[in-house]
Order: sequence, then structure tokens, then C-alpha cells
Amino acid sequence: MSLIKDFSKGLWKENPVLVLLLGMCPTLAVTSNAKNGLGMGLATTFVLLGSNIVISVIRDIVPKKIRIPVYIVVIATFVTVVQMLMDAYAPPALNAALGIFIPLIVVNCIVLGRAEAFASKNNPVRSAFDGLGMGTGFTLALVLLGGTREFLASGSLFEIKVITPWSVDFLLPTQAPGAFIILGCFLAAMNWLNQRNAIKRGEVYIPPQGMDCRHCHLCDFNSNEE
Amino acid sequence: MNKIKNTENIILLGIFLAVIGAVAALILAYFAQLTKAPIAKMKMQATNNALKEVLPAFDNSPSTDKVTVKAVDDDKIEITYFGAMKDGKLVGIAGQGVTLKGYSGKVKAMVGLEPNGRIRTVAVLPGSNKKISAVLITEQSETPGLGTVVCERTRQKTIFSIFKPEGPEAKILPPNPILDQYAGKEAGKEMWKVIKDGGSLKYITGATISSRAVADVVYRITKTFKVNQKEIIAKLGGTAEAAK
Repeated sequence: MSLIKDFSKGLWKENPVLVLLLGMCPTLAVTSNAKNGLGMGLATTFVLLGSNIVISVIRDIVPKKIRIPVYIVVIATFVTVVQMLMDAYAPPALNAALGIFIPLIVVNCIVLGRAEAFASKNNPVRSAFDGLGMGTGFTLALVLLGGTREFLASGSLFEIKVITPWSVDFLLPTQAPGAFIILGCFLAAMNWLNQRNAIKRGEVYIPPQGMDCRHCHLCDFNSNEE
Repeated sequence: MNKIKNTENIILLGIFLAVIGAVAALILAYFAQLTKAPIAKMKMQATNNALKEVLPAFDNSPSTDKVTVKAVDDDKIEITYFGAMKDGKLVGIAGQGVTLKGYSGKVKAMVGLEPNGRIRTVAVLPGSNKKISAVLITEQSETPGLGTVVCERTRQKTIFSIFKPEGPEAKILPPNPILDQYAGKEAGKEMWKVIKDGGSLKYITGATISSRAVADVVYRITKTFKVNQKEIIAKLGGTAEAAK
């Protein structure tokens, strides 16, 4: 039961993009269309799954003082493997579009954040489910954002025109400012929905504590020593 | 276990990091070995696909029958010419070149040429007299929606066309008004220019720089061929008559 919970919390309650606001760089940069979003999401999911399992396995022998460099080495290894596999087997167009962002998965806050906040404290099975859930949530958010941007820009989804056979070209959504505007609308909608649901249940909505950038102690070594 | 976890001994920490690094290096070396052949094959395939689009039917392997020469206007840039043979005769040449004048850096192109130096016409669109030229942009990072309109030959897919049987257009290269205006062109003394710069080439408003870059790279490939024509044809195994 708790395994399902580990998986499903990444989808909505602790969605890395829309609730925790982690990994904004790839989110804004690659989601100019749905296909890129899907490719980036799947690559990140693979890295998250692998790094979570490995870090959880070695969590008892990693010295506390150097845990961050060790995590980074593990994550970087997985990212490099993903990049080599994509060079070898991914469609060339997708590879060209994602090219420069794949190495940046190394510094994606979601991966390091999950390693520190979850995998270093829980067993490998739970960590695997957590990684899969977070990755799926990230992928869903990216596809949703990419799909919206692509649809608004050219009326197509996954490069197939959906409503109009003719070309409507509206450039704003494919560019950086459009990315910020649309992401902002998504966040507003997410908060509104969560608040409305909480009011219906007679509660006050509190975003998950201790997981997002405001509450993470990853960069602050002293305050995290027990 | 707890001893390692809470250690503050710097030497022990160093050894631990070194071990982790070594394990990571071993894993990476294994994967690098594993993906080496597929990556080379993938790159080869991309070139082969582009060659098939711009060259006439051939029975040799153009991707290995190639010569590399320096561009006429820039010593640092090299242009590779691939030769297509059919029944022992040189029937076409494909030039692959690059320009750095794109809006965001490199624009790489593959241009199909006839042995006399004219840019090939791949096909004529059925129903109209629109010629499709053997010009392909193989690598670019222009602005999506503006510069890419100049560079890309994409077939518009709609939700209706999924259910419709493919017409005869589906087999030929998708048209692109900017790239297709080079069909049958031959490099002269003058650099090709877009209308805005006093030339005769069409360009797309908002993507003038990309349009100029395309003109630049296509001209460079054609002109370099024209200048080194005899040498290139001889090296690719053609005869002097082929040039005429």
C-alpha cells in the first residue's frame, strides 16, 4: 500500500514541476513541443530510477561528509549512460533537440533532491517507486506543458495538426517568455484546484513542507547534521 | 558500517571517493564500448539518407567515394563532395558544407549537383510546375517557427491525413519555397543575394539572417565545385566529358 503511495505522490501531491518547483531549467527550455517534453521526461525518469536505487543501496556505507559528491558521481554516471544510449538508438531529430539538455540532468534539482530527501533514508524498493513516481510526474508535467505550447503555437500535437489543416503560426508560446507565461498559468490552476479541494474538505491547503527549494537543506551542510 | 558513515578521516574519505570514481569509470567504459558501433552506424545512416534524397539513382556507395576540398572563400571551412556512379558513369555529385552565418551558429547543408555544376532538380510537383531542388539543410539550430521555416522540409501531417491513403506527393521530398528556388542554379561570379540585399532570392520576413545563411552555404558549395570541378570529377572517377 505504501509503495503505491510512494509512486503516486509524485504524480499530483508532490509533483516535482507543478508543486515542488524543482528542475525549472529543463522544464522551460525543452518543452517547445510535446515530443521533446516526452523525451526529456523519459530520460530523466530513467536517471531518477537508477540513481535512487543505487544511492539507496549504498546509503549505509557512504560517509556523511562526502555524500553529495558521491551522489553527483552516481547521477553523472547514469546521465552519461543515457546520453550514449540516446546517441546510439534515439531518433536523430529528438537527439538533436534534446542534445544539450541531457548533460544538464546531472544538475537537475529533482534527481539530487530525491537522492537526498528520499533515497538516502529509505530502502531500495521504496526508493525505486519514489523515483518512478517522481519521473512520471515530471514527464506528465512536461508533456502537458509542451503539448499546450505546441498547440497554441501551431495547432498541432506531437507534430500532427489537430484542428486546422492550414498553418497557424503564433510564435510567443514557443519562445522563452511564452514558456514562463504558460507555466505560470499552470501553477495558478494547480494552486486553485488544491485550495478548492481543501476548502471542500474543510481544511486549509498547505503545500508539502520540507521538499521544495525553500525547505531543502541540501546546500546548507551544518543545519543538516544531526 | 557506522564507522565509515561517520568518519572524518580525510584519507579514508579520499579513498572512498576514488573507489566510487573508479567503479563509475568502469561502468562508463563498458557502455562506451557497447554503444560505439551503433553510434557510428547512426551517423553513417543520417549521411546516407541525405545522400539518397539529393542524388539520382546510383550503384556505388557515395558515402565512401568522397573528396574533401577547402572552400574558395574561407580556408578554414572544408567541403566534402560525394560522387554517385551508375553503370560506371558519374551521374551526380553531392556537396556537404557549412556556414557560420546562421542566426544561432552553424547551418550545415547537403546540395545535389549535376556534373556540370548546376543544382539538381529532384522532382516536379504533380499538378503544378513547382520544381523541388536537391538542397537539404542537415543541421541547424535556428529559431523554431522562424528560421526553421527557411531550413526545414517537413511534410505537414494533419489528423485527417492519417486516415487518407498516401498520394504520389508522399514519395518525393517535401517542398520548401526558399530551398526550391535554387533548382537549376549555377554559380557565377557574383555572390547570390536575397532581394533585401539587392539580389533576386526570396526570403522570409523575420528570418532574413537564416535566408542569407542558406544562400551563403549553397553558394559556397556550388562555387567551390565550379572552381575545382576537374579535380573533383577526376578524383571521384568521372571522365572529362561528364563536366559538360
